Amino acid sequence: MALLEGHGVSRAFGGVRALDGVDFAVEAGTIVGLIGPNGAGKTTLFNIVAGALAPSQGTVRFDGRQISGLPAYRICRRGIARTFQVTRPFGEMTCLENVAVGIINRHPALGQSEWQDRAAGFLAEVGLEAQARTAAKHLNVIQKKRLEIARALATEPRLLMLDEVLGGLNTQEIQEAVGFIRELRDRRGLTVFWIEHVMGAIMQAAEKVLVLDQGTLLMEGPPAAVVSDPRVVHAYLGD
Amino acid sequence: MKAIAKRWWLGAAVAAFAALPWTLGVYHQHILIVSLFYVMMAASWNLLAGYTGQVSFGHAAFAGIGAYASGILAVKAGVNPWIGVAAGTLLAAVFGFLLGILCLKLGGIYLSLTTLGFSEILHIVINNEYEITRGTMGLQVPGLIAEYSKLAYFYIFLAAALVTLAVVHRLIHANIGLNFRAVQNDERAAAALGVDVVRVRVLAFTVSSALAGMAGALYGHYLLLITPQIPSLDQQFLVLSMTVIGGLGSFAGPIIGAFGLEILSEYIRAYGEYHVLAFGLVALIVARFAPRGVVGIWNGWRARRDLARAAGAAP
Ligand SMILES: Nc1ncnc2c1ncn2[C@@H]1O[C@H](COP(=O)(O)OP(=O)(O)O)[C@@H](O)[C@H]1O
Ligand SMILES: [Mg+2]
Repeated sequence: MALLEGHGVSRAFGGVRALDGVDFAVEAGTIVGLIGPNGAGKTTLFNIVAGALAPSQGTVRFDGRQISGLPAYRICRRGIARTFQVTRPFGEMTCLENVAVGIINRHPALGQSEWQDRAAGFLAEVGLEAQARTAAKHLNVIQKKRLEIARALATEPRLLMLDEVLGGLNTQEIQEAVGFIRELRDRRGLTVFWIEHVMGAIMQAAEKVLVLDQGTLLMEGPPAAVVSDPRVVHAYLGD
Repeated sequence: MKAIAKRWWLGAAVAAFAALPWTLGVYHQHILIVSLFYVMMAASWNLLAGYTGQVSFGHAAFAGIGAYASGILAVKAGVNPWIGVAAGTLLAAVFGFLLGILCLKLGGIYLSLTTLGFSEILHIVINNEYEITRGTMGLQVPGLIAEYSKLAYFYIFLAAALVTLAVVHRLIHANIGLNFRAVQNDERAAAALGVDVVRVRVLAFTVSSALAGMAGALYGHYLLLITPQIPSLDQQFLVLSMTVIGGLGSFAGPIIGAFGLEILSEYIRAYGEYHVLAFGLVALIVARFAPRGVVGIWNGWRARRDLARAAGAAP
């Protein structure tokens, strides 16, 4: 049994079928990539798993228990953390406080000095230690993405969902980021579900790739099989 | 070291303020007591509006619930006013909790609309239940102490204001305070990090309403006459203006705003009863151009001065 499973997951917005009967599975301990052209429904799928949106149809199970229909905060407490494609920092709060929110809802009894220490640790992990006392609104786009990751880690998830965290990075930085995520997975024993528009990166990092196109699962398989599949090439490049 | 020095200053300031009424006549003592009532009102409204970003228009109504509950208990059932104050606080908390559960799931604007409606309904009830509330004539109620003394009331109000400020301070500096601010900044991100947004909001609304209920109940027993002026929208907008002009979302803001505007309104009252309207307009301008109010302007000025000093000290 996979750690995360979806069955027949569908979601319509008005007349638009953003997702249409998608089945998927994310195996424990793996990095699973989710790719597809813009508007394919990737972020919508994440929103449904994380409880930010309810599915119109279908169910999602995490660790064998149904989570679809639960509010977002409960899903977080079950062990699923996500980053937002368009980052959503608590702008008026410091980076340290941003991360602390994740910590104190996992460990409500923690005192201030303890959560400060832990939050500093998470910030250091993503290379934001120097910004601990900076209001999050003053960060640049790349720093904001790092903060998203630190905050997500602070909730101590078993499943980490990343939504396009590589945007704005150059080739060299992408290499480093891929290494970082893999290392993170190994060190923390995480499972990673990762949306990325940059195909190359996901091909390196993932053990399995899912391809969404116009709300349906086009195919899934190991990265090598996916890139060479004519349907995928067609979906990305058109005729 | 710095924190200890700050404590000493704070203690000295409170002590000096506590000694102040001995040097004043009854009229100025009255102004201080009324100011302390508004400190309680503005600080508790700020807990909600400034720290969780929910605008309630029912804060004066909750003060009215506290005042009328305690007053009616005393007049109709001979209940001791102190017990009445406790009962009024509790009743305001219960109303806050129920209203909160009803509309906070829906979020944002619904709280504002519901509390506005609640405030209007309360007015209709007060005016129609003349037998019990004496309508606009006002309900005469007993005082908190056997022998009426402005000095005694001053200390009662000072103690109550300090309790209110302590509750607010504790909440915003406890872990729950981080959740308050997270919800205010971005509730979707907060929920994704494990914050139970509805619970946080209901809690803030309940505590805030209870504190307003306590302030109103005490105020009624000070004025000895409870009128629909206490739960009026006029009062509501005065409290709003005090908080916004003083500094929304800052601890000192409502205190500064409450004293500043109450003292000012005593002076400009001679020019007619339009001062609440004038304050409202000023609050609107402040909200637009200096969203952190007087406190924000002061902090900004100090930050710029420190920066200039640091630049000057650099070789
Ligand atoms: N909250 C929403 N309201 C209306 N339409 C939406 C909403 N979220 C997504 N959509 C639509 O659903 C489709 C899939 O969007 P999305 O999941 O963001 O795609 P992707 O992340 O793959 O680029 C798009 O057509 C988008 O316009
Ligand atoms: Mg997307």
